[in-house]
Amino acid sequence: MREQICKLVAEKLPELAGVVALRQTAVGTAPYLFREGDDLSQLVLEPRYPLPSVVSMLQKRYPEARFGVVARGCDARALVEMAKRNQIDPERLYLVGFTCSAEQAAECYCAAPAPDTAGWPQAMVVGVPVAGAPPNPLVAQYEEMSLAERRAFWQQQFAKCIKCYGCRNICPECFCEACALEDPLWVEAGMLAPPFPMFHLVRAMHMASRCVACRQCELVCPAHIPLTVLYDLMRRDIGELLGYEPGADIAAAPPLSLTLADGMVHGQDQLL
Amino acid sequence: MTNSVPEFSAHTNCFLIIGSNTTEAHPLVASHVMEAQQRGAKVIVVDPRQTQMARLADLYLCPRPGTNVAWLNGLMHVIIAEGLQDASFVQERTEGYEELRQVVMTYPPEKVEEISGIPADDLRAAARLYAQHKPAAILYAMGITQHTTGTDNVKSCANLSMLTGNVGIAGGGVNPLRGQNNVQGACDLGGLPNVYPGYQAVTAPEVKEKFEQAWGVAGLDDQVGLTVTEMIEGAGQGNVRALYVMAENPLLSDPDINHVRHCLEQLDLLVVQDIFLTETAELAHVVLPATSFAEKDGTFTGTDRRVQRVQKAVEPLGESKPDWQIICELAQMMISGSRFQVPNLQPETWNYASPAEVMDEIAPVTPIYGGVSYERLEREGSLQWPVPTADHPGTPYLHKGKFSRGLGRFHAIHSQAAAELPDEAYPFTLTTGRLMFHFHTGTMTRRTEKLAQEVREAYVEMHPDDAARIGLDGAERVRVASRRGEIELAVRVTPAIRPGVVFIPFHFAEAAANVLTHAALDPDSGIPEFKVCAVQVEPVT
Amino acid sequence: MQYENVRTTCIYCGCGCAINLQVLDGEIVGVFPDPQHPISRGSLCIKGWNVASFVRHPDRLATPLVRQGEGFREASWDEALQLVAERMGAIYAASGPQSIGFLASAKCTNEENYLLQKLARTIVRTNNIDHCARL
Repeated sequence: MREQICKLVAEKLPELAGVVALRQTAVGTAPYLFREGDDLSQLVLEPRYPLPSVVSMLQKRYPEARFGVVARGCDARALVEMAKRNQIDPERLYLVGFTCSAEQAAECYCAAPAPDTAGWPQAMVVGVPVAGAPPNPLVAQYEEMSLAERRAFWQQQFAKCIKCYGCRNICPECFCEACALEDPLWVEAGMLAPPFPMFHLVRAMHMASRCVACRQCELVCPAHIPLTVLYDLMRRDIGELLGYEPGADIAAAPPLSLTLADGMVHGQDQLL
Repeated sequence: MTNSVPEFSAHTNCFLIIGSNTTEAHPLVASHVMEAQQRGAKVIVVDPRQTQMARLADLYLCPRPGTNVAWLNGLMHVIIAEGLQDASFVQERTEGYEELRQVVMTYPPEKVEEISGIPADDLRAAARLYAQHKPAAILYAMGITQHTTGTDNVKSCANLSMLTGNVGIAGGGVNPLRGQNNVQGACDLGGLPNVYPGYQAVTAPEVKEKFEQAWGVAGLDDQVGLTVTEMIEGAGQGNVRALYVMAENPLLSDPDINHVRHCLEQLDLLVVQDIFLTETAELAHVVLPATSFAEKDGTFTGTDRRVQRVQKAVEPLGESKPDWQIICELAQMMISGSRFQVPNLQPETWNYASPAEVMDEIAPVTPIYGGVSYERLEREGSLQWPVPTADHPGTPYLHKGKFSRGLGRFHAIHSQAAAELPDEAYPFTLTTGRLMFHFHTGTMTRRTEKLAQEVREAYVEMHPDDAARIGLDGAERVRVASRRGEIELAVRVTPAIRPGVVFIPFHFAEAAANVLTHAALDPDSGIPEFKVCAVQVEPVT
Repeated sequence: MQYENVRTTCIYCGCGCAINLQVLDGEIVGVFPDPQHPISRGSLCIKGWNVASFVRHPDRLATPLVRQGEGFREASWDEALQLVAERMGAIYAASGPQSIGFLASAKCTNEENYLLQKLARTIVRTNNIDHCARL
């Protein structure tokens, strides 16, 4: 699969400013912008990094340039939601998608381990899609709990939080200039753990209709807090209540996005 | 550290964490501890402050500051009395057990409770947890070392670890968490007055000869030099007339800084090489602009003896230069000039093309770094010393099968009081330390908005009972005074601190905790007793 | 146009976490943790995430400074280093090697600490070298 992807990247590079992918060198593996002439034998697919955030930064810095990105299913979903919020321009992006293996899907409890490129202006998928993996069993356990038990569960989990902001920093859908988590109105500054439950509740609310289940927040958490339990349920509720699945359809409007025009608030649905 | 950080999550079944605010001061070590706890490992925290790590612990003990030897002896008393020691380890690998036993048996838990304030039953519970969950790791930080009895405290930790056979096994050991990124490396590479690189004594004739040959000089100094505290004292007395400071800020980090300032002002020459105009640099005669970590190459050695690369990411700012380059250029000028008696030295010997070349010079003269090279670091990521040869894989944990001196020696040690205890005039015990959001003297972190916005100013932590006792009555600021000086700062009232103890982080120049601390030193290590001094606190209205 | 990550080691405690400095066209634009590092394992604390923020801070010293009255004046490298060598040499000649002290650094690299102690020991012939390990 890697060879196929490299071949595709090599073919596309002449017409792109560069392709965002992982590069492996003697000292480690990290995101890199491959340009024409670069050694593509260094292009690898592991481990996980939030490549969509790199794409967004590059497109903003170079507003005319066209880039490519080597993307998993979750990366593609992240890019879909970013496009809807003007964080990337799909017209200036070539998506080199690839499918995750069944093992990878199982490790991530991923329901959609292949990029869905329907509606993407320029995209290609390498590999054969595998079936989605069953959800995190912790979600079912959590749903068995009473309200008091659920509260105790999160209290215990969030007591471990060391306020690194890693869940926010790594999240492809967290891009606000001013972050409510840093606003003392919502979260008292300088406390460890951040006082229960505001830090994580505020973030969860902001992820509603945005979270694409990439699991980066859980992987980055030094306190090993099972954040996807929270976000899986949030995604389910958004689906059931508003009929919206973040990252699925590039043409579907996000239900909780509001715009300001003519001094008036405009929403997609009449939620207010 | 005798052991490695990754062993904590992989192997350790019990942690005894002493005087370490682990989640704040060593967050990614705490990450391994939390993972171990998830799989069932036990965590015991001993600290006068109920830190986040203490709140997460299975058992939390809250001692009076400065009573470590007493309660560690008490722990060993319980272990021996209940037959929980590792008899075969003691028999085969140690000496001095009988002397140890005689001393610790004079510390029954009830007596220890009187000295330390730790309830006798909690001490018993801790002893059982620690002795019965092997491998058990002791983790400690400055709460063990920054005492006039710091060396005794460290030896007591070693006693406990050996008594239970936790030395020389994966996931066990005695593990000091080093506070600064390269404090381990600065010690390893001879940044100490008594040893050359690799802890080779300056007083040993064969070592001196070896370095004279390696460096092409004769007549190296064979007397132990001065420590930081002695150099500063010497400056005050006129014996030390020039001080060259590379990236340190003693005017905030050292005890009793009013006195430090007075001493530094007596110098004929103070040179400071740093990236910001620190409090110390403001007093300098010459300030040399160095580069930050991101603008240079090199290596750091982490707390688990792990040598790792530092890699240049961007060009130096303005005219700033990497520290290694500044030193080389200065050395060449000193050799070329006529003042220093250096007949054999040639300026060309200080022409290093890169830090990789310096490491190539370090390895042959530093046995513990003998197999370290940039080429290997690139290939293998990191190397844990001792790594004596190019084909040695490095050493994840020490003392496997055998101690470096042969048998492990127990040290029978009695408890001693701290140098300055609270009294009527200064009724509180001050202890100092770090916060999650800042590093050391705050030079870098207070200039980082994402960190500064979390904690902007200094504060003192105080128990609600004490707040009532001083009549705080809602006042938001207090004056804290010791026999050395006084500062004014905000107050945070919290039950998460032992009554009678107050805590001040030392990051903040405008309310510097080290105005209050004193330079009472451990006689062996020379470490100041930052964790105990007497202060008074009064509300500012 | 160039974007890459430079892997280095965090400076904010002794843990030894790996950090990737994201570099775009010669400037640091962000930090990524390294999932393959044995200690940090893809995580960082708040200090690590923000480790590069001070690198281009306007307070950074960008030129050598020499004392002038109560303040400083800017100087060339040559002048500043000559001045240090000269004045330290004068003190050495007048008061001997033990009148000079050096503070190495727990924040600097192994190579820099090695070089500073070598300078102190071979050129000044003093073992007056220490650092803030104890602080």
